[in-house]
Amino acid sequence: MFKKIKILSYFFKKNLFAILILTPAVIYLVGFLLIILFKVVELSLTHITPKAPLFPSVYNFIELSKNPEFKEAFFRTILFTFIGTPLELLIGMVAAFLLAREFIARGIIRSLFILPLAIPSIVTAIILYIMFDYPGGHINNILMGNHSFFPFKVISYPINWRGSGFFAILVSIFGKVWRDMPISMLIILAGLQSIEKDQYEAAQTMGAGAMQTFIKITLPLLTPAISTLLILRSIEMWKEFIFPFILAGSYPLLATLIERAYHEWRDPYEASTIALILLVLIIISTILIFYLLKWLKKRLVKI
Amino acid sequence: MKLKRINTSEIIWLIGIIIMILIILFPIFVMFKYSISDRASVVTGGKPIPLWPYHPTIEQFKTLVTTDRFISAALCSIEVALTSVIISLIIGTPAAYALVRYRFPGIMVLATLLISVRLFPDIVSVVPVVEIFIKLRLINTKIGVALAHSLLSIPYVIFIAMGVFETIPKDLDEQAQIMGASKLYSFVRVILPVALPGLAAAAIYVFLLSWDEFIFAYFILAFGNLSTLPVMLQKILSWTPQHNLLAAISVMLSIPVIIFTFIVQKYMRAGATAGAVK
Repeated sequence: MFKKIKILSYFFKKNLFAILILTPAVIYLVGFLLIILFKVVELSLTHITPKAPLFPSVYNFIELSKNPEFKEAFFRTILFTFIGTPLELLIGMVAAFLLAREFIARGIIRSLFILPLAIPSIVTAIILYIMFDYPGGHINNILMGNHSFFPFKVISYPINWRGSGFFAILVSIFGKVWRDMPISMLIILAGLQSIEKDQYEAAQTMGAGAMQTFIKITLPLLTPAISTLLILRSIEMWKEFIFPFILAGSYPLLATLIERAYHEWRDPYEASTIALILLVLIIISTILIFYLLKWLKKRLVKI
Repeated sequence: MKLKRINTSEIIWLIGIIIMILIILFPIFVMFKYSISDRASVVTGGKPIPLWPYHPTIEQFKTLVTTDRFISAALCSIEVALTSVIISLIIGTPAAYALVRYRFPGIMVLATLLISVRLFPDIVSVVPVVEIFIKLRLINTKIGVALAHSLLSIPYVIFIAMGVFETIPKDLDEQAQIMGASKLYSFVRVILPVALPGLAAAAIYVFLLSWDEFIFAYFILAFGNLSTLPVMLQKILSWTPQHNLLAAISVMLSIPVIIFTFIVQKYMRAGATAGAVK
């Protein structure tokens, strides 16, 4: 017992400086996080009655499950995430493979591909707001064949992009993928660069074609990069706020429904309930993706 | 035969590159085009909007820099960003130093925990934060926004600063301490000056993060007179402004980000790809 205290006091003395300079960050981040978590749970379990606030109560959850707006938002969020995440992976991979070979001005093209990351999300959303305007936006004009460089009449009437749930979600996905493409590209590119040249040469001498090399060497060796990307990007997709907020204002996702509940319904309790549900969804989806990838890896990569 | 096959794959590659460049550049081009459009090129009365304005003008920018609303929003943005840079560097840098230099059990877990705070969805934390800030009277204040932004940026500062401190040899602090410097003195007077260029990148990163952050700024400033530039953009969107004015503000908002992103690209790449390669 005495010895333990002695070891402990020695430990503190030796690391006193480290503990002292670590404390502010730990308190700030972990403390804030704990308070936030506590507050979300508390608010979502509180039901305000005329007499006194009722706690704990699942009233908010029951009320929400009856709300058609919540159901719609829920399915829109699923749609957004399930289209957006694979799309971002795909576009990131395409961009990375385009950059993977040596060519003149590769550095410039690479910087160009990173450019969307340098445009603030809110600005990207505003530009898309302008481009996909109805009836006279650029995209409508181009699709209607009003310009001489693209004289094909794809549609005969302008599309009201923000006025239809499907198109509004589609435009938001486009914005999100456009803006975040560089991140997935850089992750895949880093993964590609970590593959040794020898392996390709070995495959080539053994007579493997381009397709075979891709499936048997590149893809398996990219799995760590792809796993990281899928997990990080799916979290980003679930919680995306700015693009649906600006571009799909009348068709809320869960994230934008939080804003609506808070500002329009003036109901922080309902807003916290939605936030809690979103958080649980994110955690479940992350765990699922994690185990799915693990399972896939076992199946696919045979060493 | 072989030559022909190489050519087709190269043509496909070239087409891919061109399509990607077009998709990436078109929205940016549209933004710049609208920002220098005159009124007649935006309000065309049924005719398609031209791809290049009839009479390019910098009128929008001239109006903007004389509009009080815009100036106060820009100043507010700068003030908030600088405050959050100061807060997050003061809190984050020492923590990163401790995490790199001291090896006691559980410290890597702590490092991972601190850095992964950034994965916590901001839209989930925004309602509780605002509710707390209402009680603390931090709502509609610049310091409130700066505090919320540092919550987002401290994990990044810790991450970048850890990378910086790892490149500084341990001998340096040991020698300083042998010569009689205290731990605090050797950290402040010996290590920090060496780490300064790397920390500057962290500072720029935090500045940009705060400069274009929207969610916290919007929730904290939604009903007040203050607004940062992104919040101002959203607020004026509700009274259907002319598109060229929107684009001009967007350009002003983006230019610092574009410039600094390419300066700190090296560090951002490290941040974005962290954990990808094991």
